[in-house]
Order: sequence, then structure tokens, then C-alpha cells
Amino acid sequence: MTAGLATRPAATVAPGALRALAVLEARRYLRSPLFLAGLGVLVWSTVVATGDFRHNAASEDPGDLVLLPAFFLGLLGVVVAYRMTRTLDASGEAPDAAPSDRFRRTAALCLACLVPAVPAFAWIGWIYVALAVGRIPLSSAITPGARAAILLSGAVCAVGGPLFGVLVARWARFPGAGLTAVVVLAGWALLATVSLALPPSRAGTLLHLSAPFTGWVSADGPRRPAWVAGGSPGWYLAYLVLLCGLAVTAALLPGTTGPRRRRVLQVLGALAVVAIGCLGLAVLPDPARVPL
Amino acid sequence: MTVDPTVELRGVTKRYRDTTALDAVDLALRPGITGLLGPNGAGKTTLLRILATVLASDSGDVRLLGRAPATPELLAEIRRRMGYLPQEMGFPLGFSGFAFVDYMAVLKEWTATDARHDEVRRVLGLVDLQDVGAKRLRTLSGGQRRRIALAQALLGAPDLLLLDEPTTGVDPEQRVALRQVLSAAGERSTVLLSTHQTEDVAALCDRVVVLDHGRILFDGAVHDLVATAVGRVWMADAADPHARAAWRTGSGRHRNVGQAAPAGSEPTEPTLEDAYLLLLGNAGRVAGVAA
Repeated sequence: MTAGLATRPAATVAPGALRALAVLEARRYLRSPLFLAGLGVLVWSTVVATGDFRHNAASEDPGDLVLLPAFFLGLLGVVVAYRMTRTLDASGEAPDAAPSDRFRRTAALCLACLVPAVPAFAWIGWIYVALAVGRIPLSSAITPGARAAILLSGAVCAVGGPLFGVLVARWARFPGAGLTAVVVLAGWALLATVSLALPPSRAGTLLHLSAPFTGWVSADGPRRPAWVAGGSPGWYLAYLVLLCGLAVTAALLPGTTGPRRRRVLQVLGALAVVAIGCLGLAVLPDPARVPL
Repeated sequence: MTVDPTVELRGVTKRYRDTTALDAVDLALRPGITGLLGPNGAGKTTLLRILATVLASDSGDVRLLGRAPATPELLAEIRRRMGYLPQEMGFPLGFSGFAFVDYMAVLKEWTATDARHDEVRRVLGLVDLQDVGAKRLRTLSGGQRRRIALAQALLGAPDLLLLDEPTTGVDPEQRVALRQVLSAAGERSTVLLSTHQTEDVAALCDRVVVLDHGRILFDGAVHDLVATAVGRVWMADAADPHARAAWRTGSGRHRNVGQAAPAGSEPTEPTLEDAYLLLLGNAGRVAGVAA
């Protein structure tokens, strides 16, 4: 006679497992000193910048502040999420032998990257409240919809940076990969800013808007009139959202096998095509600069 | 009544380039504690990694807890009922002991917070670390960290417990305490204990598997292995040049382990270590072990 092994109820997917893991990762993100430092600097710099609006409303626009959450939450978030992703790698194979596979762990980390979205959206609200309370006149060079899209792109960058950090941690295994990613991202953003110094053209707009972090308001020199760069803020926002989707999908790929890998690759391909389309649509409008 | 094997390996082979780590290994394990002995490079860790589903074999059949780990769903089902302590376990040093085990519990799908925290406290209690759970891992000693690592393997009282050198760096008092934990686990679970500590195997295991060069040299009861050394261990005033291994004991006399005790010598009770040394049979290797 043979006695069967005692079996426990075996669910294919444990209910709530992803949520529990994502909550734990979100707590880790919230407690990260780098995130808290970036948040502090964002608050301070926003208070200072919105105060300046009262005096420089003619030469500045709230859309000009978009780089604040992008840098202080997004760029620093690359390092935060990179470290969080790599932390458990130090534990060797014990996590790999747990039922929560790498796919689920990566998905939880990506969900935790929504943490900086909360202060980023609060930041947008703060900007609008500051404008309303101060009765600050806004330039008609930027439509309210375009301004909202520009400000929202800052919030998307605040999430996109950490997602990029997860992606780098999952793919790059060399020491210092996280910092290298920050340097590459900052360099790309710098290149986009430099492109604003070139005469307006579609190629220049493409270079400007291909970067995930970029500003829209600039000037040809100190004390020169400010202008708004050409392109569509709305389609640029869609492009950024799709870049976030690409980062998530590409981060989920390592360790994925079989039909799931095929599905992830299909999604990755589709997102890439749509992202390129959105970038094209963002570049399509007249590249001429509009004085603020 | 025969109990189905928890672990079944048939012809499992694993190669790393030109090195054969496991060579057509057949093994069946049932509830109880099985010791896994072997020299460095014998294939013990490779075997445990395959059983822990973190490494795939090149060929052969693997069945764990009645399932073949063929799909992600089956892998997850196996892993839900398995605990694994790897040989080398680093730690995320910013974590406290409690936070680390709690994190591992979440990975093991303990989703209800209160129940999970109770379980974390339980396993920390098992390894006698309930008082240091709040301390950062970086402040704990190597032995305490090893016990933290063991605690995560014990989460959920797994049906299959795979332990790669669990007592490394643990002081004698704690080793004895851990033996109590493992012996209790062995009453309901299948425990595979890979170790260089023959005394742990002798104290805990009813069965021992000896690996060398990726092949199983011995698979049977501990007392059967010890019995192979009866009459082959003797005490003398000097080291016997014909012995496989000989060393001076604390009493000043020499313990000799060899093919047969010479006439007129003083035979003594063999230990598992003596039998293990004789089984390996490689004089060079044995001399290294005994040195």
C-alpha cells in the first residue's frame, strides 16, 4: 500500500501575493533616504520657484518647472529603484527558490515605483493652487491643455526614472550600473537642452523631444525674451507614458520563459511601435518657437 | 506501508563545461533526515540547487513532492512546500533580521500580515533569535546571520527542507539547539542536510548519502556506513605508516584508520567520520581531511 504525500491546497496564483509584495516594496521606497532627500529638495525648490513667479511672470511659466520633479524624484529614483532591485540579489538563491518568481518580484518593484507619483501629482496641484492664490497671469503662448500636459510629463518622469532603475538592475550586472544609468539619462537630458540652442527644425525638435527629461521654456540668453519650444506636449506626454511601459515590459523579460516570454516580447514590440508613433506626432507640429 | 518519495531523481546529470558535477545520479528521499556528505567539489551543492529548483539538470528526471518542475505553475506549487538554505547567503544589510525573514515570508506568499508576523516570530524563536530580530543584520555575528538564514528556510514548516551546511559558523551550544529544531522538522518533513560535519549527520540522520565526483558512493543507514569501519580503527602509541589516516589524540596516543587493524593493536569504536574517510579511500584526499 502506498500513502500519498500530504498535499496543501495548491492555487496557481496565490491571491494577494503580488499586492503584499508591492506594499512591502512601496514601504521600502518610502523609507529610502535618497527619495526623502529628493522630496525635500523638490519641496524647497518649488516653494522658491513659485515665489519667483510673482516677480517674473512675464519671463517664466509653470511649465518651466517640469524638470524639478523629473530630476529630484525621477533621476534620483533611478538609484533608489536600482538599489531596491539589487538588494535582494545579495541573498543569493534563497529568493529564487520561493514561489514568488522573478516576474512577480519585478512586477512588485514596478508597482512600488508609483510611490513618487503621489508627491509628483501633489506637486502639480501645488503649482495650480499657487497660481490661483497668487492670481499670477499666465502667458497665452501655452494653452491650458498644453501646460497641463507639460506639468504631467514631470509626474510621469518621476515614475519613469525609478522604472528605468528597475530595468537597469534587471539587465546590467556590472558594478556601478545604477550610477552609469543616471549619468546616461542626465547626459541625454543635457543633449536635449543643448538642442534648444540650435535653430528651430524638425530634427532639432526630434532630438529635444526624444529625451525622457526635458524642459519646454527657454531663452536665447540671459535677459532675452523667453520662448516655448516647438512640438506637441500632449503627444510627448503619451510618448513618456509609453517609455514607462517599455521599461516595465523590458524589466519583466529576464527570467521569463515559454509562452509568457512570447507575450512579453509581443507587448514590448507593440509598445515600441506606438512610442515611436507618439514621438513622431509630438515632433510633427511647426517647430517654430513661440515667444512667451 | 510505503510512503511515496518526496524526492525522486533518475539519471540526473549536470555538467559545467568539462566538469561533470553530477553523473547519472539516482536518489529517492522520504520523510526523515538524510545526511549528504562528500568532499569539496563532490557535487553536493549542485545536487541541492537542482532539488531547490534554482538550477536545471542537463538530463534525467526530477520529481519533487510528487511533481515534475516542468512549468512555472508546477514550480510554484513545489516551492510553496519547500524550504531552502543555500550554502552561501549574503544579506541585504540595511534590513533587520525580522524584516529580512518577513520579506522572505512575503516571497513565500504569506500575504496576511498578522499571520505572517506570527510565523516570522515563530521561526526566529526556533533559531533562538527572537530577541535580536529588530537588530540590523550588519550588527549580527556570522553565526546569528546563519541562523537567520535557517529561519527563512523553516518558514511555513515546509514538507521538503534542503539545507546546505546550516551549522557553519554556529557555536557548539547553538548547534545542539539547531539539532533539536532539525530533528523535530524531520519527524514530518523530508530534510536533506548537506554538511562537512559528520558529527551532525551521526547525531541527526537515519540515512546518509555520500557523493564523490558526482556519483553516489554510499546510500544507506548511518549505522551501516559506520559498520564498514569496524575493526579498521585502532589506537597505538605511534602513527601507523600503513594507515589511511592517523593523528595524535589529546591523550597522547594515535588514532589510526586503515584497511585493517594490525595484530596486537587496540581496536576502538569507529565513528561516522572514520567510515567516511575509509569510504573515500583516496589516501591523498584522506590525508588532507585528517590533517
